[in-house]
Amino acid sequence: MAFLLNCPNCGARNVYDFRFGGEVLTRPAPDAGNEELTEYLYFKENMDGEQREWWNHSMGCRKWFIATRNTHSNEVLGTHWPDEPVTGTGQ
Amino acid sequence: MSRPNKRLSAAPQELVDRSRPIHFEFEGRKIEAYEGDTVSSALSAAGVEIHSRSFKYHRPRGLLCVAGRCPNCLMTVDGTPNVRACTASVRDGMQVITQNAWPSTERDFVSVLDRLDRFLPVGFYYKALHKPKFLWELARPIVRRVAGLGSIDVDSDGGPTSNHTNRHTDVAVIGGGPAGMLAASAAADSGADVTLIDDQTLPGGHLLTDIREYFDVPDGLGLSTTTGHEIAAELRERVLGHQRISVLSSSSAFGMYQDNLLAIQTGRDSLNLRATHVVMATGAFEVPHQFHNNDLPGVMLASGALRLARLWGISPGKTAIVTTNDDSGYWAALNLSDAGIVVSAILDSRVVPDSDLLTLVRTAGIEVLAGQTINSAQGTKRVKSIATTSANGETRNIECDLICMSGAWQGASGLLLQSSSAGVDHDGIVRSGVPENVTIAGGVGGVHDLGALLSQAGLAGKRAAAKVGFGVPDDLPAIEAELSVFKSPTTSSAESSASPITQTKKTFVCFCEDVSTKDIAVAVEEGFGDVQTLKRYTTSTMGPCQGKMCHKAFVEVAALNLGLSVKDAGATTSRPPAQPVALGTLAGQNHMPRKRSPLHYVHEQLGAEIVELGPWLRPHNYGSPQDEVLAVRERVGIIDVSTLGKLDIRGPDAGKLLDRVYTHRFSNLREGHIRYGLLCSEAGSIMDDGTVTRMADDHYFVTTTTGNVDAIEDWFNWWMAGTGMDVYVTNVTAAWGAINVAGPRARETLAKLTDVDLSPKAFDYMRSATGEVAGVPSIFLRIGFVGETGWEVHFPAEYAEHLWNTVMEAGSEYGISPFGLEAQRILRLEKGHIIVNQDTDAVTDPLDAGMRWAVRFDKPDFIGRAGIAATRDRESKQSLVGFIADDGFVPEDGLSIVTNGQPVGRVTSSRFSPTRGVGFGLAWVPIEMAEDGTRIFIQSGRNEWPATVITEPIYDPEGSRLRA
Ligand code: FES
Ligand SMILES: [Zn+2]
Repeated sequence: MAFLLNCPNCGARNVYDFRFGGEVLTRPAPDAGNEELTEYLYFKENMDGEQREWWNHSMGCRKWFIATRNTHSNEVLGTHWPDEPVTGTGQ
Repeated sequence: MSRPNKRLSAAPQELVDRSRPIHFEFEGRKIEAYEGDTVSSALSAAGVEIHSRSFKYHRPRGLLCVAGRCPNCLMTVDGTPNVRACTASVRDGMQVITQNAWPSTERDFVSVLDRLDRFLPVGFYYKALHKPKFLWELARPIVRRVAGLGSIDVDSDGGPTSNHTNRHTDVAVIGGGPAGMLAASAAADSGADVTLIDDQTLPGGHLLTDIREYFDVPDGLGLSTTTGHEIAAELRERVLGHQRISVLSSSSAFGMYQDNLLAIQTGRDSLNLRATHVVMATGAFEVPHQFHNNDLPGVMLASGALRLARLWGISPGKTAIVTTNDDSGYWAALNLSDAGIVVSAILDSRVVPDSDLLTLVRTAGIEVLAGQTINSAQGTKRVKSIATTSANGETRNIECDLICMSGAWQGASGLLLQSSSAGVDHDGIVRSGVPENVTIAGGVGGVHDLGALLSQAGLAGKRAAAKVGFGVPDDLPAIEAELSVFKSPTTSSAESSASPITQTKKTFVCFCEDVSTKDIAVAVEEGFGDVQTLKRYTTSTMGPCQGKMCHKAFVEVAALNLGLSVKDAGATTSRPPAQPVALGTLAGQNHMPRKRSPLHYVHEQLGAEIVELGPWLRPHNYGSPQDEVLAVRERVGIIDVSTLGKLDIRGPDAGKLLDRVYTHRFSNLREGHIRYGLLCSEAGSIMDDGTVTRMADDHYFVTTTTGNVDAIEDWFNWWMAGTGMDVYVTNVTAAWGAINVAGPRARETLAKLTDVDLSPKAFDYMRSATGEVAGVPSIFLRIGFVGETGWEVHFPAEYAEHLWNTVMEAGSEYGISPFGLEAQRILRLEKGHIIVNQDTDAVTDPLDAGMRWAVRFDKPDFIGRAGIAATRDRESKQSLVGFIADDGFVPEDGLSIVTNGQPVGRVTSSRFSPTRGVGFGLAWVPIEMAEDGTRIFIQSGRNEWPATVITEPIYDPEGSRLRA
């Protein structure tokens, strides 16, 4: 894990300057049942391939953005601001 | 005392300064040396021939590469084990000792193992001494001691710590030979910032020791000299004098990672260099040939012998034989003979046609034995003679004390292969698949002829610069077209091995691990069928040289025994580190961050006992926590709470954001009012708590627990991301200092310093106001963590000392006392107030913690709602309750609550209450034990101490003092 990540605000930086926020997830409705909630919280996709994921430029501008990364090759295909509200962090 | 006695007459390229003698100690013996010597060169000058004993059989080993690439000269220098003596510069008074030998490398009794080799078969660890089992237990410490490298001094403080630096560069050029230097200057001339990394003390590579005249060097390169070492000097001047090139000498790049991150060791320090483009000019080096006794002292790489002679003026032997399979051996022989070493013959495995080169060599008095190969070397502690075989099978003995192996070249591609899947055969020469952000130059790509190499390197430098945006970008296709002319040789080279492989127990493939050709044959017989498993089983290529000396031979021998071509046998995987790195270098300094409150020095002056709390240094007490508690309960106390996390939340949507993240509702909080805030994770577990104050319609002031503020700031920002909410979250923790003044006389104390009306009627509990205290603009929050009338006062941190001192003075007539963390913990515990992460853990549900009042299920949504709702719908299984222990017992935090000897709950916080004179605390208990008056038992050691559950705080349960 030594790749460069392109913060939409600051530009390319060492990945060590960022905090990983996990897969982009859709949060269940507030009245969702326990099963759906458990599924969401504890059963991640853990994709082998292209994945949309959250990153925070924690040692820079501290903004959250989304990266599309191939988890197999570690290649970052692109980064962008979230175009929709955060629907879940799974934490 | 021994005098340097093996020095040749001074050569112009030598690195030693013969006018500056120094000395150091070797095995208790004083060795004279010159400034510029390495430990190895000085020892060689003093006649020391055995530099180490081999890993397994304790065979004597002498200098081989003299370039820091093999395992033959590992010594302990000034307490640091496994130092490569041939690259360690001597310093006055240095202490050097040998390793892995007893009593000394000269007379090592353990070398009896060399004759007992049948008891040490390949895969020894997996086979021998395993049955019966106790045998292994007995043998292990002995085996570990006998087989191994240097030992660590466990009493050492590790010496000076190493520094870590991070840097960027446009172009990193790895390798300071002619290709690297020319590529670096070409890239820098195009405008790129260049970092040149070379593992030797002086850039120049193999040209440093080369006296050959090169007449075919292209004109366009602006070189005025034609002799090898003069060209090196000219190029060196160019790079050292170039303002856009920074040269890192004696520095080795040991790791290469994604997007060209290079891990570099430079002295004790480590540098992480991010390069936009990398020029790989790591070259190629000679490797040992495979014949019986190929590890005897006196068997050297030709380049090693030459380095010793030219750079340090030391004769590596009296009579040399050069063994080769290509023209490079002839040049090596000529260079050696020019340095004053008698070369009696060149053994060339080829049947060579007559050529100018042949004439040249013969004129120098060197015999050429064409079609002859070396079979074995003889001697005990040093080569005495060799046995050769000619093409028609005739054998012959030749006397010599030095064998110079030349002609078998292995590309130094290990670093490149760590981060890419470039196409490389067993000879390490890069043939294809170089990533776009890397350019190859010189020997590592199989280009050896100096003229071609320099032309290629110049183009490589230009390409690198163009790739990072310097020069004329349109030129790139033209540069690349020109570069493509320099093809690597397509033949990877079974035939590049300089002599046919001898298969004996003493023909060493891997010098680091003492693996012979015979061992590999046995391993293949045992069923290991490919290079990757053979590598692991025999441990070939896995020692300190990391395959630099042995990868090629290893694959060749494996292929031979497997009946495969070397191409099909393949190559093993390269991993970091390419060069051994000291753990201390990787560890670096202990940069534990420390945060000090703006009142830190006031606390020190007051004699506070300071403790670490996360990154913060905080006063634990000022003498007696018990007295401090009583001061707060009876008079007035003052505590520094500057470390509280503080967030300033502004914007029209501030209320909306807080409603989303907190379990409570804040959009309806009135201006000047304060509400307790509880933050939960999406699973519904308690994450943090604090207070939320509405300062204005679109402005809130939020406090968080001390260690959590960064995470909470991120958390707020996360839930805002993409919403378009009009709100700003600013972390003002360091900008604001804060004190809490609490106790029955707190009001009188503060009233002396402010115009704000603090009277009970004007300033109610859980209300806020702004105003000046002692002339400092401040925020007053009337809250009651410690359970008395009191105000948390927040103010610009710069005024902290002034404010503290003024309040102390104002309170002196009421007996004010500073109180520390410990007193605060007791005070809050008496009130039953929880501390998140002390009384809760990662799965604590707010309902179980008795905080249902802080959770607004009537909000349609908030973070954690679904999780908490799930607990609401099932029965709670446990509950956080208070307890009072019998007989004044004060349990430790974390003790178990037991029923019939089985743990059923735990104490989270417990103290002695000076107010009530009892031991008491908070504990998690099963729900059926949570009723007031239940008797519970706390296990401490072998004893079970009785206690009684209480559901109300032990101090002021009605909160009348708090609200007074
Ligand atoms: S002789 Fe020192 S590393 Fe090879
Ligand atoms: Zn940024």
